[in-house]
Amino acid sequence: MIPLEAVAGLSAVLFAIGLYGVLARRNAVLILLAVEVMLNAVALNFLGFGAFRGDLTGQVVAIFVICVAAAEVGLALGILLRLHRNRQTVDIDRLDELKW
Amino acid sequence: MVTTASAWLLPALPFLAFLLTATLGRWLPGQGAGIAIVLTGAGAVLWAPLLGALFVEGPQLYQPVWFTVGGDALHVSYIVDPLAALVLGVVLICSTHIQVYALGYMGGEARFGWFFAVVALFTAAMLGLVLSASLLTLYVCWEVVGLCSYLLIGFWFDRPAAVEAAKKAFITTRVGDVGLLIGILLLFRATGTLDIPAIVTAVQQGAIDGGTLTAAAILVLLGAFGKSGQFPLHVWLPDAMEGPTPVSALIHAATMVTAGVYLVARLFPIFEAAPVALAVVAAVGLISAAGASLLALVQTDIKRILAYSTISQLGLMFAALGTGFLPAAIFHLTTHAAFKALLFLAAGSVIHGTTRQKLDELGGLRRSLPVTAFTMLAGAAALAGVPLTSGYFSKDEILLGLLDRSTLLFVATLAVSALTAFYTFRLWVRAFLGPDQMHGHAHESPAVMLGPLVAFTVPSLLLGFLLFIPFGPSANIIAFLAGETGHPPAQYAEIGSYYHAHHEATPNGLVLGTSAAAALAGAGAAWAVYRSGARIRRRLPGAAVLERGFFIDALYRWLTTQVVMRLSAFFAWFDRRWVNDAGVNGAGRLPAVVGGALRTLQTGNLSTYALAIVAGMALIAGIILWSGR
Amino acid sequence: MTALYLLLPELLIGGLAFLVLAADLLLPARRAPIVGWLAALGMLALAFFCATWWGAAGAMGELYVLDRFALLFKILALVMGAIVILMSLDYARRRLPGAGEYYGLIVFAALGMALMTGATELLTAYIGLELLNFSLYVLVSYSKWNPKSNEAGTKYILLGAISSAVLLYGLSLLYGLTGTTNYAGIAQALASGTPSPGLVAALVLILGGLGFKIAAVPFHMWAPDAYQGAPTPIAALLAVAAKAAGFGLLVRLLAEALPSTLPLIGPPLAAVAAATMVLGNTVAIRQRNLKRLLAYSSIGQVGYLLVGLAGFGAGAAEAIVFHLAGYAATNFAAFLVVIIVENRTGDEDIDDYAGLAERAPFAAFALTAAFFSLAGLPLLAGFVTKFYLFLTAAQAGLIWLVAIGVTMSVVSLYYYLMVIRQLYVVAPIKVGPLPMTATERALLSVLVVATIAIGVAPAPLFVIVRSAVAPLFG
Repeated sequence: MIPLEAVAGLSAVLFAIGLYGVLARRNAVLILLAVEVMLNAVALNFLGFGAFRGDLTGQVVAIFVICVAAAEVGLALGILLRLHRNRQTVDIDRLDELKW
Repeated sequence: MVTTASAWLLPALPFLAFLLTATLGRWLPGQGAGIAIVLTGAGAVLWAPLLGALFVEGPQLYQPVWFTVGGDALHVSYIVDPLAALVLGVVLICSTHIQVYALGYMGGEARFGWFFAVVALFTAAMLGLVLSASLLTLYVCWEVVGLCSYLLIGFWFDRPAAVEAAKKAFITTRVGDVGLLIGILLLFRATGTLDIPAIVTAVQQGAIDGGTLTAAAILVLLGAFGKSGQFPLHVWLPDAMEGPTPVSALIHAATMVTAGVYLVARLFPIFEAAPVALAVVAAVGLISAAGASLLALVQTDIKRILAYSTISQLGLMFAALGTGFLPAAIFHLTTHAAFKALLFLAAGSVIHGTTRQKLDELGGLRRSLPVTAFTMLAGAAALAGVPLTSGYFSKDEILLGLLDRSTLLFVATLAVSALTAFYTFRLWVRAFLGPDQMHGHAHESPAVMLGPLVAFTVPSLLLGFLLFIPFGPSANIIAFLAGETGHPPAQYAEIGSYYHAHHEATPNGLVLGTSAAAALAGAGAAWAVYRSGARIRRRLPGAAVLERGFFIDALYRWLTTQVVMRLSAFFAWFDRRWVNDAGVNGAGRLPAVVGGALRTLQTGNLSTYALAIVAGMALIAGIILWSGR
Repeated sequence: MTALYLLLPELLIGGLAFLVLAADLLLPARRAPIVGWLAALGMLALAFFCATWWGAAGAMGELYVLDRFALLFKILALVMGAIVILMSLDYARRRLPGAGEYYGLIVFAALGMALMTGATELLTAYIGLELLNFSLYVLVSYSKWNPKSNEAGTKYILLGAISSAVLLYGLSLLYGLTGTTNYAGIAQALASGTPSPGLVAALVLILGGLGFKIAAVPFHMWAPDAYQGAPTPIAALLAVAAKAAGFGLLVRLLAEALPSTLPLIGPPLAAVAAATMVLGNTVAIRQRNLKRLLAYSSIGQVGYLLVGLAGFGAGAAEAIVFHLAGYAATNFAAFLVVIIVENRTGDEDIDDYAGLAERAPFAAFALTAAFFSLAGLPLLAGFVTKFYLFLTAAQAGLIWLVAIGVTMSVVSLYYYLMVIRQLYVVAPIKVGPLPMTATERALLSVLVVATIAIGVAPAPLFVIVRSAVAPLFG
């Protein structure tokens, strides 16, 4: 059996990679992708902890997380599409009409 | 039958007047002004039997339940004791008369009804403040009073100066209120209650440690100083004169500004237990008394002169409190309300009759405004402390207390007295004597305005004699305020009221003599210098002084114009440049500067925002780990 | 699952949402106001229905609970949703043509709020939260052709997704530590034992994630941009309703799941509260756009509420809910005036409000009353509720935090007076009266009366709040 530390460690690494992507990327779609990585880390955590404790809750939550993540991406892409149509860009550095 | 329990009616009546006038005013004759006057007047009429009931029953505390939540009952407690009773009378009588006066003065104004509605609300809140035996209701009333003051100073909101003055008054006093609220919460934390009697009992049993008590007392003082226009939070009061004159008389002279004095008196047992705070009261009071009387010298606007004199007189009251002579402070509060209301109303009458309020543009009004001239002379005499007027006797009580503590303070206060007499009589002499500058265009005010003037003349002249006649069951007014009403001291202690036997009430010869001399010297100097219509800031070259035959006259002129006026001008500059601009306004600009700096964080860039989230979490983690060590 | 009937309010809200969407499909676009009225009246009816359940109690397994707290927040959510819809009617008619589904989304948002405050289990609470958020994402970017609305929506959804991921990661750690997602179970598991680094990490992530939802500093940066870009009624929804639901969730979470961690999270919450009060109120001074000013002022209000969380306990929870209710009436009144003015004139800048007292006396009066209430002046809702909030904080020993709060109230008075000065003193740039619809006038009257009523006679509301909070600390 895979030790819990390995699962939690992998999840932490995934989360950190996602967070890095969120901070470093300038393209809105890539930021969204990075958020997906973070959410996968979450799902992995729930699965790992659930399996380790022999508790089904973890798996249930993981499935929910995946569903919610899918919905979120759909919504975000819709909004980005609208943005692109009006502004011809999805570069977040050019989104600074609203500030201060 | 009126008992002390019916005291709640006194604030309820004007509050009802406010509701009626504010909601139905536009359909009522006179826009509801009549209702406000009648209901406030009814309160004033009720006050006399209430006082009688207090003589019979002694001090009483009432704690009716407002509402119950779970097992906790919330009380709206009120207290009727000599202190509250006297100030209630002051507020009611001043408010009624000034409202009558305003019928004439404000006649024809747009929003005439609104004026009376707000004055009624103010009266209700002020009475509620005086009756409160709970810091909660006291603070609520305190804030409502401030709100009314804001609305009334800015009554003419089409005048930019009035709006600026209103904003300044509101914010400056609110800065003091920050201290008051935190002080209240400190007391609450230490005692678990907001009831003043319970807090006083806890303090007297030593249940609060000295440091907390001193801190709470000094914080409460900030609120009192803000409201009462004491240094350095006094800057709003002269500007507040932009409001209508009846408002200046009622709120910024006779009643609201005394709320700070009343607050300290109400919580006096707390201050007695915190000697440092009491010393602060005395020091700030004396600084304000002296500073404001110097500042008054270089003013030319008659209302601003009176405003500075208010700061100065309130300073004397605080000085009396700070030296432990509470009855003297409240007695002076009472006489001051009478003569200062009179002075403001008379000033209003001058403005009404001439449409001028600069001293240099006035003169020789004694013929065209004879009633105003006579009544204002009475008020000026009382403010100056001319012998046998009310102000003379009440100020002597304060001087008596100061002499008891320190000869130096006594002498300094005498000097303040002399200055006060000087600028007060200069005001009167300059306005009513000398050549007529209006060339017959000035006219006397209508009877509705002169009536209150004459009415205030009586107490201004005679209130002082309360020192020598029995006041109900007490030997005199001072004994009454000290709690010697024939009721057991325990009855006072139980409700946290002030009781202090053996107050020396009769001034001794030294005080009476020196005080009279100071007043007469100041008044005489004013007469000598200004009787022929000299301009306020005129400088006399040395040669011109010597040309005059009278050496005394010349000495007076030199003393007043060269020494005192220059000193005064320096203080005025210091007050404007450093206290007002750099101190109060500078501190006021600080939040905007901070805001301007923090605003630049909001770059509009999403990466910044995401980074802030991560940084915020790192900070939270840091704080958890650091505080968990 | 015998207690399925306990879900009846939620089922009805969901049903109403679909009904509204169906009505939108069936009716022609120009009939959209009918859809709006359907949604608003339906929500008010459901709020009344929930009120008739007052006192009912029961739990659906370990997932969901119906107690007075949940009922109060359901009523609040429904009433606030209805108010937002009524505020939107004329705005949508002019600026969001054919906006039937807009109303449906507001009903869904209310459903999300009901769910997240009734949940006693992490996943259920999270689903409710996301239902609210998803509705808000769409609503914020609803002005499809307005680049500002696009930008606001983009920023909001991207940052919202990040904060959701952060929150979820924290929840996953909490699950790993305790082996359960049930509030009571978590409390039980955490009651014994010393705090581990894992717990600290979980708490940090949860606070970060939820701090974003309530716009606490430094997680607040989305808020001013989103308020400014969003259709103004949606800004009101964000500022009032979404925030109230966020605090409802937090209060239940702290009371039922994390009471043993209060000593750990108290200090950082106090720091966040201080930062939020200072930033919100000082930056507000420098705003020229009234919507942004309101955004920063409501960040300041969040700071006051966080003072309650920092000194958390039964009294503080009461104070928070009490303040939320009073704040809702007040802030909706302020937003409604902004909506009325913006809708008629397109103006958002404070300078454009010059002379409003001449053009629309009642609107100017309402805005003044609302601002005085927000500044905490007595006889108005904001005074009583904030006073109680500070009182409980003082009792918890957070005098320094209260001192900051009281000072910042004075600062807030400064910028509110700045706006009020524009209303009354400065001569109007544009002239002519500014009419409002009968609905707007009635709604504004109700909100102003509520603001004054809570200020003058807070007792009834306070009794309700106290009995609602009691079950959390049973």
